[in-house]
Formats: sequence, C-alpha cells, structure tokens
Amino acid sequence: MSAATPRSGPTRRVVFVHDPRMAQFELHADHPFKPIRMELTRSLLVHAGLLEQAEVIAPRPPNDDDLLTVHAPDYVEAVRELSAGGPQTDAARYGLGTADNPIFPGMHGLVSLICAGTVTAMDSVATGAALRAVNLGGGLHHAMRARASGFCLYNDLALAIRRAVDVHGLRVAYVDLDAHHGDGVQWLFYDDPNVMTISLHESGHYLFPGTGHTYETGKGAGRGLSVNVPLEPYTEDASYLAAFDAVVPAALRAFAPDVILLQAGADPHRYDPLADLSLTLTGMRDSYRRVVALADELTGGRLVATGGGGYDPYRTVPRAWAQLWAAVTGREVPSSLPDAWLEEWRDLLPSGSELPRLALDGQGDFPPRPKREQITRRNGVVAQRVVEALTAVWQDTGLGGAVTSR
Amino acid sequence: MLVNEIMTRKVVAIGPDTPIRDVQLLMEQRNIRHFPILEERSKGALDSLVGIVSDRDLRLVGADHPRAPANVTAADPVKRVMVTNVLVAHPDDPIEETAKVLRDNKIGAMPVMDDGRLVGIVTGIDMLDALIFMSGVREASSRLEVELADRPGALAGLLDRVASRNVNVSSVMTSRADEGSVAFVLRVGTFDGHGLADHLRGLGYNVLWPPEASEA
Repeated sequence: MSAATPRSGPTRRVVFVHDPRMAQFELHADHPFKPIRMELTRSLLVHAGLLEQAEVIAPRPPNDDDLLTVHAPDYVEAVRELSAGGPQTDAARYGLGTADNPIFPGMHGLVSLICAGTVTAMDSVATGAALRAVNLGGGLHHAMRARASGFCLYNDLALAIRRAVDVHGLRVAYVDLDAHHGDGVQWLFYDDPNVMTISLHESGHYLFPGTGHTYETGKGAGRGLSVNVPLEPYTEDASYLAAFDAVVPAALRAFAPDVILLQAGADPHRYDPLADLSLTLTGMRDSYRRVVALADELTGGRLVATGGGGYDPYRTVPRAWAQLWAAVTGREVPSSLPDAWLEEWRDLLPSGSELPRLALDGQGDFPPRPKREQITRRNGVVAQRVVEALTAVWQDTGLGGAVTSR
Repeated sequence: MLVNEIMTRKVVAIGPDTPIRDVQLLMEQRNIRHFPILEERSKGALDSLVGIVSDRDLRLVGADHPRAPANVTAADPVKRVMVTNVLVAHPDDPIEETAKVLRDNKIGAMPVMDDGRLVGIVTGIDMLDALIFMSGVREASSRLEVELADRPGALAGLLDRVASRNVNVSSVMTSRADEGSVAFVLRVGTFDGHGLADHLRGLGYNVLWPPEASEA
C-alpha cells in the first residue's frame, strides 16, 4: 500500500451533500467560526471542475427522532425553545449563552439540517448508493449528550454513527484529524463495542477541550476501542505523519470496520489562529490520502467525511477541503488555483483578506519550528506508548489477533 | 481540601494478637497495604490505636534480608512487627499538611483519628488522587497561563477580565512563584484560548500560554 500516492483514477459514485442554508447564517462578527468557508470551498471545487462527476444531494429533512438517538430530550427541547427566542434561564446548564456557544435565532433548525446532512451521507454509503460521501458542513465533534461545547450544538457525527450501527448494522471506525480532541464522539461511544474512535490532536495539556490523553482507551465492552494520539504544539508534517503511521493503520486493521467516518477539521494547519499544530497543506493532504487508502484496504472503500474546525477561512480551509475532496474522489487539485475562483471572491472578502493562488504549501515554505527534534522525539514516545498499551488490551480482549501476531 | 474529603473510611483494623500469617493473607486478598492495630478499651470493641503495620513489615517476616526481624515467624502475633509510635492525622487537617508529614517521615499512610476514635486512613495514593483532581480537567476548557504581580487584587482583576468575556474559569493553579510575581494556570471554558490571550495581552497582561500567533 502506498498511502501517499493518489489512486489510479477518479472514484465513481461520490456524494457531495449540499444545502445553501448550511452556510448562510450569521453569528456575531467576532466569533471565530466563519460560515463563509463552506461557500469558498464549494466555489473552489466548482471552478476547478472537481464537482463535475459528483452527485450533489440535499440533506434529508431534519427530524427530532434522529437527534434523540444521541441527545437528551430535555436538551433538545431547551435548544428548540432558545432557538425560538425563549427565556434563557436554563441556558447555562446546557453550555449555551457562553462566548463559544452563543444563542442565535433558528439555531435548532440550522444545526438539525447539518446533522441531517451527515446522516444522509452515511445512508448513501451504508446502502451502497454511493461508495463515499462528504458533508463539509458537518464535524461538530464536541457536542455532548446534553451540552453544547466548542460551537457544537448537536453531534452530527454521533448521529451518523448511531444510524450506521442501529439501522444498517455496521461497525464504524471514527477517525478525527481536527486539531482538537474529538471528545463528544469519544464519550458518546466510550463503551460501545461497535465503534472505534481514533483522534489525533494537539495535547489537551495545552488545548481545548483538555482531554484525549493516551490513557483514555475505552471501557466495558468498548475497552481498547478509544484511541488517542495527543501531539505537541508546533508538530510539523513529518512527525505528524509518523505518529499517524505508527497508530492509525494498526488500530483500524485490528478493529476491521465496515465503514470509516473521517472528521477532517482544517485547523492542524500552521496558519490556524486557534490551535498550535504546524502542519502544511501537503501534510494534511497526505493524511487524507492515508485514510482513503485504509478505507480501500479495509472497508471496500466505504468512507464518509465531514469538515470540522478550521478558523483560517480564506487561506487554509478551502484549500484543505479541496484536498480532502480530491483524496476522496481520487483526483488532483490543480497546482494553480483557478483564476475564476479568485475573481468570484475578489470583492466579497473583508479588506486585508486574500485568497491564495497555489493549491499547496509545504514544509519548505516555512522556517523550521524551534525544538523540532524534541517535539518529534516526544511525539514518537507518545505514539509508541499508545500502540503498546492498546496492543496489550487487544490481546486481552481478543481483538486484532491477526494483526498482533504478524 | 481536607483529609476528611480524601480519606478511606472503611478501614480494615486488626488486633495486636492476630497471627502475622492471617494479616499477610488479608493483605493479599483485600489488596491492602496498611493495617492500623487496635486494642479493646471498652468491652467488646477494638477502639484504642496501639500500632500500625505495613506490607513491607509483613513481607520481611521470615525473609532472607538484613532488615528482616530476628526470631519472628508468620505464626507470631502481629504486635511483634508493628510500629508503635504512630503518626496520625485529623479529619480537618489540610491535605497539604498531611502530605508534608508523609513525605518528611517517609511513610505511606496515617490513621485518621477524631476524638480518640479511628475514623479513616489516608495514604500517599489518596494524595495522588487529590493531585489528579486538582490539576485535572473537569470541563472542556483551554489552558491559560498568566504571570501576575504578587499583590492584592491582581488575580481578582484577571478573573474579572475573563468573566467580562463571558468565559467560565473551571480551575486555578499556581505554576510558579518568583520574587514579586506569581504565575497561574487557569482552565478557561472557551475553545478560543488564543483570542482570550490576545485580548488580555492588549490589556497589558503577560500571558505565558497560549503564545502569540507567530504568522500573520
């Protein structure tokens, strides 16, 4: 398997979930979450011709029954009332009305729609209607059963996993490449034998949400199925990919999933203002290609991908997600980005913001981070610790015997 | 935090005449490392602390080891190997005080006595649990480390600034103290730790973590 090289040709039957309403909402201007990044990405894909062979479909109609497979009834009720302008007496109890999770009109409907998008993506793949599916509006990995967190109101990923397991009878491997730990998804499936969660992230010692330590390995029937690779601030491409290669293939092979759900938050990039990892677009592209190659190896190619974090909306997010889409569809993003894309947005961006002309940046475009060797050594120790701890648990639980005896 | 909040209340206490062999068995079966030893003061009740015995004292019995007690076998009563000058804690003792006593005397546990009665036992492991709790992350949060002048109101002022951004503080710890300044680590309930840090820098605070964005 050569994870870093693209597949031989375009992959047929890839669904792109789209609904203009997913990107058309306003938070207060200071909030780091910028919905415009979705339209910038879609427009880039259109101008680059990358959506031509895709099947663009709308999310299924949102419904509360989906939400209630994951979220507490009182929480959904509270969100609906706050969304409609109700009194904010109980808001704090549910993590709402804070700087991160402002209450805004229509939020229940909007986030329900985003969730329906990821469920639709999962349905498309689970039924065989498509080989892969992407919902860039999804990826709300911090939302808990009865609590909003990190601008995640409802957990679309958890809803899609529940549906894959309960309705389609699939075992799901969740791979989270966002710079922040995928805590909501991890805790919601912490004891579930049908779901493995894997998260590579900046260490919780430094970054929100503060969890995702190596010793969080699952419990009960889910023991050994929660995998965390906490990385040092300023981790660069080579060290990141080495940690990925040390842990992710072994974990996925041991679990042998039916489908992979990828959360591809775009915030590991060094330009991201909220996190401190130092990846380039080349490293991020290579991580996406590795996940796609593992899907080809283990799930017959079945893969659902979502967006996630990403707070450098003009330079980084569109390019990162174009690479994600290209990896999922087995195509290449043209190395020079289309003039028509730059033209379309020229007058629409805030002053001082500019779109990039090249598809990629790489490690050679930036000075090396100080302490690179220490960081690399530290990440290597952590990755090794994760593998050793999990291998012992897997031997104990009888998971992945074929892998560990190799 | 007080001893009362971290101690183990269900203590397995034994009498001084219990055979060492029985105590060794209890130690292995119940996975216990320290046994307070009580005598009968009022009729029918073991209620007077006379000693303590640790897993190390018990393991040395009959061992081929320079510190093994001479002429003691597993059939002898446990009072032959118990320590009699027992250091004890009170339920209202601050745990940092108890930790210091454990550390200075290189011992692993202290019986907790209230008004002459044994009410619990506190061990080094309880101290580790307390450390994990105090330094741990109970709510989704970011790390913020700020150096402040060591004077009245400095921390209060910082907390005020954080609160005015509608951000919750779930934990505060001292990370170091120098002449005239103290560094605090706060866990703040926001995923935009950098935004908060930049805001505080703008107000003149010396924020040690997260760092300033190094690239425009």
